[in-house]
Amino acid sequence: MTVWFALIEKLRLTFRVTLMAFLALRSYRLRSAFVIAAIALGIASLTIIIASIDGAERKADEIIEMFGPDAAFVLGGDISSRAVGWRGLTLTYNDVQRIRAELPGAYLSVPMRSKSNITLRYGEQSVEVPVLVGSTEGYADAWNWPLAEGRDFSAEDVDGGAKVVLLANGPKEALFGERSALGATVYVNDLPARVIGELRYRGMASMGGSIDDRLIMPITTLTQRFNMDRKYVRALRVKFSDPENMPFHRENLRSLLRNMHRLEEGENDDFTVLTADEILKFITMFKGGLVAFLGVTAAVAILVGGFVLANLFYLSVTERRVEIGLKKALGAKNQAILLQFLVEAVVLTLIGALFGMLLGMGMGQLLARLGILEILFSWKIFFLSLTASGAIGVIFGLKPAREAAALVPVEALKGV
Amino acid sequence: MSSALIDLKGITKSYRQGDLPIDVLKGIDLQIAAGEFVALLGPSGSGKSTLMHILGLLDRPTTGAYFLDGVDVAGLDDDHLSALRNRKIGFVFQTFYLIPYLTALENVILPGLYGQERSATIRRRAKEILQQVGLGDRMDFRSSQLSGGQQQRVAIARALLNDPAVLLADEPTGQLDSATSKEIMELISQINRQGRTVILVTHDVATAACAQRRIELNDGLVCTD
Repeated sequence: MTVWFALIEKLRLTFRVTLMAFLALRSYRLRSAFVIAAIALGIASLTIIIASIDGAERKADEIIEMFGPDAAFVLGGDISSRAVGWRGLTLTYNDVQRIRAELPGAYLSVPMRSKSNITLRYGEQSVEVPVLVGSTEGYADAWNWPLAEGRDFSAEDVDGGAKVVLLANGPKEALFGERSALGATVYVNDLPARVIGELRYRGMASMGGSIDDRLIMPITTLTQRFNMDRKYVRALRVKFSDPENMPFHRENLRSLLRNMHRLEEGENDDFTVLTADEILKFITMFKGGLVAFLGVTAAVAILVGGFVLANLFYLSVTERRVEIGLKKALGAKNQAILLQFLVEAVVLTLIGALFGMLLGMGMGQLLARLGILEILFSWKIFFLSLTASGAIGVIFGLKPAREAAALVPVEALKGV
Repeated sequence: MSSALIDLKGITKSYRQGDLPIDVLKGIDLQIAAGEFVALLGPSGSGKSTLMHILGLLDRPTTGAYFLDGVDVAGLDDDHLSALRNRKIGFVFQTFYLIPYLTALENVILPGLYGQERSATIRRRAKEILQQVGLGDRMDFRSSQLSGGQQQRVAIARALLNDPAVLLADEPTGQLDSATSKEIMELISQINRQGRTVILVTHDVATAACAQRRIELNDGLVCTD
């Protein structure tokens, strides 16, 4: 009974002190506004940082999704020894055929060569396209990149070096707009070619521009018509039927390539195999750095808010000595005084957190609109912000509040 | 135990200033019975402020015993002293000490907040007392909107809220003009006539004239009673 009674009494005192704290905050408006603003700035940066980390994560998921969990991408040359001697052209057309014929579980193997900075012309109009890709049948499938219209290359197109192209969305929009490009004859650096398919809009940024700014033609046509050697390919893409066994497939692919390239035991690979796992590892590493860097930034911003709070509360305690002394004379226990200053601090930091989240979301939206930042807002931000600001209120408010509670009433009533 | 409301026995108080101990109170023996109106007089430096602080449980004596309403307060900790002040003692100060961000009514309610009564009861009684001191129409005013006399009336109402055994008034008219002072002293006398013990601390003999009993302090000792 007495325990309950004591608890109810505590709750009632807390409630009454909270009301009084609100009245005090209302009357010390300017000071309250300063604390709110300081905390809001910290929380705004926290909001943007969490949103951008979550945004980066979503982006990473998209990259993985687009890359495909069932695919491997092989680049000529060993990325890890790139600095020593970059040998780009080590993969051959022959490798592609051998993988197709011999690698267990692989159902698709597509080579790629590319030529940069092509002028694409249709009628009177022309457009600069950064990348012309040479590939084979199965290109769209290999990249999980559906066709909006038309068809992919056929084996005959590739064998015969047919003058046909697939347009990605960028050049298609530039030359044809809403109209269909199917069947039209376009000029690829003066080579006339028929459009047989349009790839759907993908909307991903890749190195040096949008992935949609490209066109694709049979690899045979590319090498023949643009005087490129016919033996090597830049990269190749392999798809497997059972993604659960990717580590196993990856090792198989690697030993097949080592075997074909006649690499001795102990020699480094002269190629690099990338799978979704590797990309994920890389992204995780990158994200770790991002989180650490931005985390420190947010922590500093919030700490600054905390120091502003502590300073203004010290000032407040000094200024309100008489109030504190009077309340003690009227029977306020030390705890009641401590509680009032703590409540004032926490109320201010929580209000600051709400403003900060609004500010952060506004700025985050702006940065996202401008394409500077990928962001994602979640409830996590809400809870983290409230927790962080509440903690700041308690931690930085505690010292001044303790000082207030410890004032001797006779001394406090004398004023300053 | 003692039958007096306030019973001081051999109260001393000394401070250290550097290496020099300063004896402010040098052995005060004093009994005040319930319902008395006592004036505590003395020039500044006589120790009357210190004695008032000790009587009001705002300060502790160095040696000696203090029984308030039969309770030995020497052994009580801060929280118990707070609770005892809250219930037993009403303070009226020279400079009123109203909290500027609260209305008159809220200021009167203040000591109730630290006690154990229900909010509705406290509020009702605060209103009644404000009516009694003649401020029924000023309840929602802040101290900045009230005259000095009105502010002191609010402070007196605040002191009475918890129905204390003793009203301790420290120079209650020190900041007021003579006409207002008379009104305030009349109010305090009236409160005493209703049966409440009043201790008035003042250096002004005219003000002290209202009291039935005058205790003069000089150099830390009671010189006339």
